[in-house]
Amino acid sequence: MSSTQDSLDLPLLKRSVTVARENGHVVIRHLRDEITLEGAAAQLFSKIEPQLDGKTPIAAIAEKVAEKPARLRVLAEQLEKTGVLAFLSAKDDGGLMTGLEFHRVHRQNCLYWLEAVYNHPLWEKIVTGKASRAQVIGFAFEKYHYIEAAFEHMGLAAANATPEMMPHLARHFIEEYTHGDIYRKGLRSLFPDELILHSQPLPSTRALVNYLSESATRSSFAYYSGNELLQLTENTDDEKDGGAVNEFYDAMRKHYPYTDKLIDSFIAHTKADQKLGHADAFLLMCKSVPPLTRREVNDALNVARNMAEHLLLFMDGIDTFYAHFATVPRLPCEPLSE
Amino acid sequence: MSQFQEQYRAKRVYEVTSANGRAEVRLNDRVVELGEKELDWYQKVVAWLPTVRGVADLSQDLGMSEARVPKFIETLEKSGLLYRRDAAPKSMTGLDFHAQFSSVLGSWLTEAFAHPFWERMMSGKGSARLFTGWLIELYHYTKNANRHMPLSCAYAHEKPIKQLRAKHYAEEWNHYHYFMKSLKALGFTEGQIADSVPLPMTLALSNFMRQAARTDILAYSICSAVLEGTTTDRKTYNPYYEKSGELYGIPKEAIAPIYAHLDLDIQYQHSDLFRDILEKVPEMSASRASLVLDHGHQLVEHIWLWTDNIEKYYEVDSNPMPRRPFDAFVD
Repeated sequence: MSSTQDSLDLPLLKRSVTVARENGHVVIRHLRDEITLEGAAAQLFSKIEPQLDGKTPIAAIAEKVAEKPARLRVLAEQLEKTGVLAFLSAKDDGGLMTGLEFHRVHRQNCLYWLEAVYNHPLWEKIVTGKASRAQVIGFAFEKYHYIEAAFEHMGLAAANATPEMMPHLARHFIEEYTHGDIYRKGLRSLFPDELILHSQPLPSTRALVNYLSESATRSSFAYYSGNELLQLTENTDDEKDGGAVNEFYDAMRKHYPYTDKLIDSFIAHTKADQKLGHADAFLLMCKSVPPLTRREVNDALNVARNMAEHLLLFMDGIDTFYAHFATVPRLPCEPLSE
Repeated sequence: MSQFQEQYRAKRVYEVTSANGRAEVRLNDRVVELGEKELDWYQKVVAWLPTVRGVADLSQDLGMSEARVPKFIETLEKSGLLYRRDAAPKSMTGLDFHAQFSSVLGSWLTEAFAHPFWERMMSGKGSARLFTGWLIELYHYTKNANRHMPLSCAYAHEKPIKQLRAKHYAEEWNHYHYFMKSLKALGFTEGQIADSVPLPMTLALSNFMRQAARTDILAYSICSAVLEGTTTDRKTYNPYYEKSGELYGIPKEAIAPIYAHLDLDIQYQHSDLFRDILEKVPEMSASRASLVLDHGHQLVEHIWLWTDNIEKYYEVDSNPMPRRPFDAFVD
């Protein structure tokens, strides 16, 4: 959302920014970026930082710190360009953001939110062979449940789609609904089909699926904004990322030889996803939606952030729950089981 | 899959303790004592039952001849550690089901509250921040009753059950005010709490209740009964609040509204609601009983993981409390 000269009134240092002072420099960190101010810029920033509250106009800040408003405006505009500062004004509330601009902001934030998922200790435990059998097999089961749940959330998304999103969501369902079977094939090397089909996901996996389903029935665009965050973790055909994934599978095969067929199914699924070209699907959707209001932008980004938190919960559930309750596969209750 | 693997399943085990070469395996209705070797054999059978491995593999795992395996499995069944699936009744009355639920509820609640968080809080290793975080999530959970209780009325097809569910909703819908009052006594403003967002697992609880409401009114009602089961007896929750108040300096004004809420629940006799509903159900098939029971146990697991989520988030001092929604323009 680009600001106009009239709206450049109320500079706000973004809430998620952290500021550190190192050797006379000011280091501002936001998402995955780091901006360093030196010399006069660092001094000026330090003088005005407490006033960057989104409530004080530039002219009032200038008066308070005895500086020229034009000098403050230059610094504030530079900081806005880097993304660490925003200008608030009543006019901005009614402003619209294009789908393409949203796509950029979405991606920038999602990559940051996903860092916690990539840094989850379960990955390291599996790679070093410290994960238990229940955690490793549980990981495969939970991935199966999550992928199989395409029937639920993608079905609901297509059935509740807005007219402009319907072709995208219909296509997505049709391309994905068989993917659970790829994982099931791997699990069948260890467990009977009937048990796999009736096995129970962890509450954390159920939480992820239910959150997708609830979003799907409420807002097509917000749903796909959340789904896209998940897709970002699946589709990588980037050489570096792909290499890291292969290393993970190699380590898993080495430490847990009984997972051989499971890993084949993981790889088969990644390849199936890459062939579909889903990596561009969200960009196409963003291009097709009408400009978004501030409320729509925040709604879609909150769903994406929640999805990242649910994905972290998904990882945490496998790590923590299977460590405490090592039963796998998880079978549903029967009248005599309790 | 062998005939044993089709016929037998393991009973749910709530605890295994070992001392002096003897193990005690606690089931819902009994404690089974096993020697070290028998425990190892039993665990091997339990691991083998849901797999595609044959009887020969099990016989090798156990180090006993294939001919002896059936006898050993029968012994495990007689001790109560395994059950035969075909021994279950084909159907039961609603009240029979309620009797079964009542007999297992205590074990389920022990499981739900077995998370180390509670011991941590009671032993002084917790903090005022953890207590407050838990209270914020309880506020959200209670407020989110408005996302699932009316839905359960909408999906209840029979008039007497609709009526009971609606009455429950009418009595509960605004109880989040009690938690708001507590949080205000802890120094938060109404706006800070009302505009905050719950943890994913808090949201997951209400989303699971919504899923249950759409699936089967009895599946929803058992979840509701498990939750009501946590508040039927002052002896179970008073020590936690009193100890937290003492250990972490929680003011009495923050705890009083919670007691008022719990007392109101008892006054309404909400813990009897599930029985009242099941009284209206003349017959349940075995598959419906399984489905309903399964939702109840999933709710138990949700409570455990909810506690885990609360502890992990609020123990990090730098995490915002309460949690704000994301705003692309200021974050």
